[in-house]
Amino acid sequence: MFKTFIEPFRHPYPKLDVAKGNAERDAQAERAMAQEKQRRGGHGGSRGMPGPKIRAKNWSGTLGRIWQYLSVHRARLGAVLLMVVFSSALALLGPYMVGMAVDHYLEGGGGSWGLFLLGLLAVYAGSSLTTWLQNIWMIEIAQETVYRMRSELFAQLHKLPIPFYGKRQQGDIMSRLTNDMDNVSSTLNSSAIQIFSSVLTLLGTLGVMLYLSPLLTLLTFLVVPLMLAGMRWITKRTGPLYRKRQQDLGSLNGYIEETLSGQRIIKAFSQEQRVLRNFRERNEAILSSGFWAQTISGFIPKLMNGLNNLSFAMVAGIGAILAIRGHGAVTIGVIIVFVEYARQFTRPLNDLANQWNTLLSAIAGAERVFEVLDEQVEASDEAEAVELDSVHGAVAFSGIAFSYGEDDKGNTLEDISFAAKPGELIALVGPTGAGKTTLIQLLSRFYEPSRGTITIDGRDTRTIRRESLRSHMAFVLQDSFLFQGTVRENIRYGRLDATDAEVEEAAKLANAHSFIVRLPGGYDKVLDVGGGGISQGQRQLLGIARAILANPSILVLDEATSSIDTVTEIKIQEGLHRLMQGRTSFVIAHRLNTIRMADKIIVLKEGRLIEQGPHEELLSQRGFYHSLYHGGLMEE
Amino acid sequence: MTVIFGFLKKYRVAAISAIAMLLIELAVELIQPLLIARIIDDGIREGNVAVAWLWGGVLTGSALLAFLGGIGSSFFAAHVSQGVGYDLRDKLYEKVQSFSYEVFNRFAASSLITRLTGDITVLQDMIFMSLRFATRVPLLVLGSVVMALLVHAKLGLLLTVMVPILLWFVLWMIKKAAALFRTVQQRTDRMNGLIQENLTGMRLIRVFVRMGHEIGRFQRRNRELREDSVTALRLTETTMPFLLFVMNAGIIAVLWFGRLEIQSGGATVGEVVAVINYSLRTIGALSALSWIMNSFSRASASEGRIREVLTTDDPEAELGVITGNPVYLEDRNDADGPNVGLTEVHGEIEFSGVSFHYPGRDEAVLEQVSFTVKPGQRVAIMGATGSGKSSLIQLVPRLYEPTEGTIRIDGRDIREIDRTELRHAIGYVPQEVMLFTGTIRENIAWGLEGADDGQIETAARRAQIHEMVTRLPLGYKTRLGQRGVNLSGGQKQRLSIARALVRQPSILILDDSTSALDVRTEAALLEEVSHLSCTTLLVTQKISAVASADLILLLDDGRLIASGKHEELLESSALYRRIYESQYGKEGEVQHVQDLH
Repeated sequence: MFKTFIEPFRHPYPKLDVAKGNAERDAQAERAMAQEKQRRGGHGGSRGMPGPKIRAKNWSGTLGRIWQYLSVHRARLGAVLLMVVFSSALALLGPYMVGMAVDHYLEGGGGSWGLFLLGLLAVYAGSSLTTWLQNIWMIEIAQETVYRMRSELFAQLHKLPIPFYGKRQQGDIMSRLTNDMDNVSSTLNSSAIQIFSSVLTLLGTLGVMLYLSPLLTLLTFLVVPLMLAGMRWITKRTGPLYRKRQQDLGSLNGYIEETLSGQRIIKAFSQEQRVLRNFRERNEAILSSGFWAQTISGFIPKLMNGLNNLSFAMVAGIGAILAIRGHGAVTIGVIIVFVEYARQFTRPLNDLANQWNTLLSAIAGAERVFEVLDEQVEASDEAEAVELDSVHGAVAFSGIAFSYGEDDKGNTLEDISFAAKPGELIALVGPTGAGKTTLIQLLSRFYEPSRGTITIDGRDTRTIRRESLRSHMAFVLQDSFLFQGTVRENIRYGRLDATDAEVEEAAKLANAHSFIVRLPGGYDKVLDVGGGGISQGQRQLLGIARAILANPSILVLDEATSSIDTVTEIKIQEGLHRLMQGRTSFVIAHRLNTIRMADKIIVLKEGRLIEQGPHEELLSQRGFYHSLYHGGLMEE
Repeated sequence: MTVIFGFLKKYRVAAISAIAMLLIELAVELIQPLLIARIIDDGIREGNVAVAWLWGGVLTGSALLAFLGGIGSSFFAAHVSQGVGYDLRDKLYEKVQSFSYEVFNRFAASSLITRLTGDITVLQDMIFMSLRFATRVPLLVLGSVVMALLVHAKLGLLLTVMVPILLWFVLWMIKKAAALFRTVQQRTDRMNGLIQENLTGMRLIRVFVRMGHEIGRFQRRNRELREDSVTALRLTETTMPFLLFVMNAGIIAVLWFGRLEIQSGGATVGEVVAVINYSLRTIGALSALSWIMNSFSRASASEGRIREVLTTDDPEAELGVITGNPVYLEDRNDADGPNVGLTEVHGEIEFSGVSFHYPGRDEAVLEQVSFTVKPGQRVAIMGATGSGKSSLIQLVPRLYEPTEGTIRIDGRDIREIDRTELRHAIGYVPQEVMLFTGTIRENIAWGLEGADDGQIETAARRAQIHEMVTRLPLGYKTRLGQRGVNLSGGQKQRLSIARALVRQPSILILDDSTSALDVRTEAALLEEVSHLSCTTLLVTQKISAVASADLILLLDDGRLIASGKHEELLESSALYRRIYESQYGKEGEVQHVQDLH
């Protein structure tokens, strides 16, 4: 019995050399934290757990920009602040009047008792009313501001150049739109007001207390240094402890994430016992860090309570002695006012500390949002660019060079020149990493070549607005992305005003119709985010149908058929041929029959165009294409 | 909450201690107004300094006692909550690992992850909170009412009447607010889903020039979110001022009646002040109520999700022993080989009349499939997407069980072979590459715990990845994933093949695992594999990989429509011929394929 009783005190204190963490665990922890961040968001984040503090880099600048958003509601904001002043004053007046009542009215005497109570009622009503008004108004201001910021940020995402997304992790951008915006939202909702009213209440309380009895005020404030010292002692320990706990939790969650996603491998390799063992190790680590973090941070409210009680006792005891000795102005009423104030005194202090952190992280969050808003947009160089009404489809690359970034040694593409006549089929061929996809990205102007020009119908693409350029192209990209929505909506994405009949016609051409009608719900089957619920091959078929519907002059297929099996591919070949008719098509293809059909094959190797021409011609050259074509066949 | 109580049992001593400490604190707080009343009535009004000293001292002492109790309760409560969290995680994870693959797939992996991480943390926090704050609130309210009644029955009655009404009001508000916030949460989720989707599909949106369309969709959701947020927040922000006003009106009533009582000699000033004090405390407690109720409803949802997993019945549970001390594999096998102690598997595979459909779905994925493979042979499985290739090979390591028919290995029905034993004889390479955080070496060693460098290198060589690995600065110690190198699709595929080969399996399953390899590498790999004495099941799209197989199975809509060697199928199967032609053209070029042999 005694042994179990003292168990809680025997947890080993965790080693806190956080810096030298195991690299694997760090990585897992990091990922898990990022995921956790993504998952949360929304309301009801955990309370009382200090998150990692993120500080803003440019305080005044960020605050100034927040103010720009808020200043639209300047008048209402002024009204809110007025209400805060009123409500803080009235909140102080209440206890003061109760004290007066005890001293002057309770035992008879005084002026009109009924009138006094009516006054008190008015004070209470006013206090509630002003609090209510300030909250209601502030919520509207806050939500409208957040709404605008969110809209602007989202619209900005669609204006940013694609390289922006290459540089940043999706989770990071996601977190700006969700977590950071939520931080801003909750701060504007309540923290801003609370900080203001806490300061006012503190000052007001102090003023009234000093007015009533400087001596008792001093006594009340005796606990403040104690509180500060206690908080220091606690936070000095909880900071590292929470970091350690967060790290352990991250490592554990990362492990769970990984092993459950890879459950198929664990089962097939019978590794259940092994992962259980590794899991237990991580679980144990968190037991010790979690225990100490929770225990010590659990001291905080107890410390507050304890100090409250202490000042309560001192005010009551010493106040009484002063009152008996007839010391100055101390009366029963004064003691009551003090007791009530002292009880409330630590609350605004506590609020202030909490809200301050929220405010800081909200400013940091807002700064991260503004960072995205400040990024240069894709269309920023398009002042002079024109719209294209129609495109014949003559495409020419001349002297194109390109590399993804400064840190890349050498160019990803070097000196690429070739031309495609309208309606031609161009096959891009070469080993992985040869630059085929990069070439396509340049054509669609996701990236800009560092040298050389690309022309369409003889016009430099840099003089064409990107949107206009792209609207004459259709893409079936490597990752055939589907949106959450019905099959029909997903195909219609190719042309928003297409009729149902046109959608089905496109699906038939792509040979997707037969599998769609077999789906439960047919064209109205709702696909999950990322197109779950249908196979990868079927996703590609839908992507092809979408491109058919778009009816472009230039068609780009980026390994569009790679994950479609041969049998299915046979089924779509016909449709693809029909699709390519009369359009300039660029195909990154591995399949020989597509390549053979091409009017021109562009052979890329390590970023250089080494051979070009039709199939037979290239074969007869007996060069790289020849060896590629015969590949494994020639080995034996 | 039944599951929680089961887990709490182990920590009942600490839990009871925590609550006892809580009661000490509570008692101290409840006695304060009473002591103040004594100080006012017996001390100040009688002019008795000794009384003031005495009760002031008692107040100070009790404050100290409460503080100590609070500190102690922190230890006990953290012990209980962390302990229960640890046990829960342990049990839950073990349970999940014990699931057969079929049962595992009844839950989405992501949902299981949330249950193991977020939900348990919620429960942990709830336990900690319950032991320290949550139980305090109702007790404080109740205690205040009782104390007020004890101090002065008539004045206390006011409080007694008001508290239940306010309580009802608060609970009603919480219920309404919870419903509103649920909507807000749904809206947030929907909006976040849209953002996520847009970020993932950014290129597609650009090339189809659908930015305006997407921004419009977002605006609608954003507006809905704003409107619902305002509605929900408005309600919750109305609750507190209203509550405060009613409570304050109660205080005015206490003052009014108090004065009447004092004048008629039925009460003292101290008593009236005490009742007012108790009322103020009740307000404070009530305002914490909505937060507590919120946490409770969140916790109970989490508990439900955890219970669902813990109580899932799995007749095919796969961890032999579910105890605190599982029997680890090394205890059963010696380190020098995966098959030691197990019956040796030669690798003859026989499907007879095998049909299969996924649990909970109607359409049959496989229908009446029969074939036999001799040890060491290579079987190629071809067919359209959705024709049942992956499903077929999943049945071999018993990830799923056939709904009809039997599969035999070396003449033994696989249902009679222990799953662990069976799987130790199989090297499986799934279609979607799954590597784990860690070094390249660790990832290969996944296939065979305790594999030495020689074994790992051999496996890597055979999988055609050794050269590439040695070119990396850190070689086999190179880390994969987040902080390590990013391998290409083909490299990952070869690595997961090495992981399967290091087991020296009797049966090797390659589920379209060479799709990202170029023809040359693939040929070299298959050549290596053919020297191993293992039966190979190969799902592929490429004729080049199929032509040399001992047996080709052609699946269509779950039925085996043709089987035989390459030449036989060219003769007998029109579909096979079409596949062949699509990859090699007609006539003339057949020559190249013939060169393969």
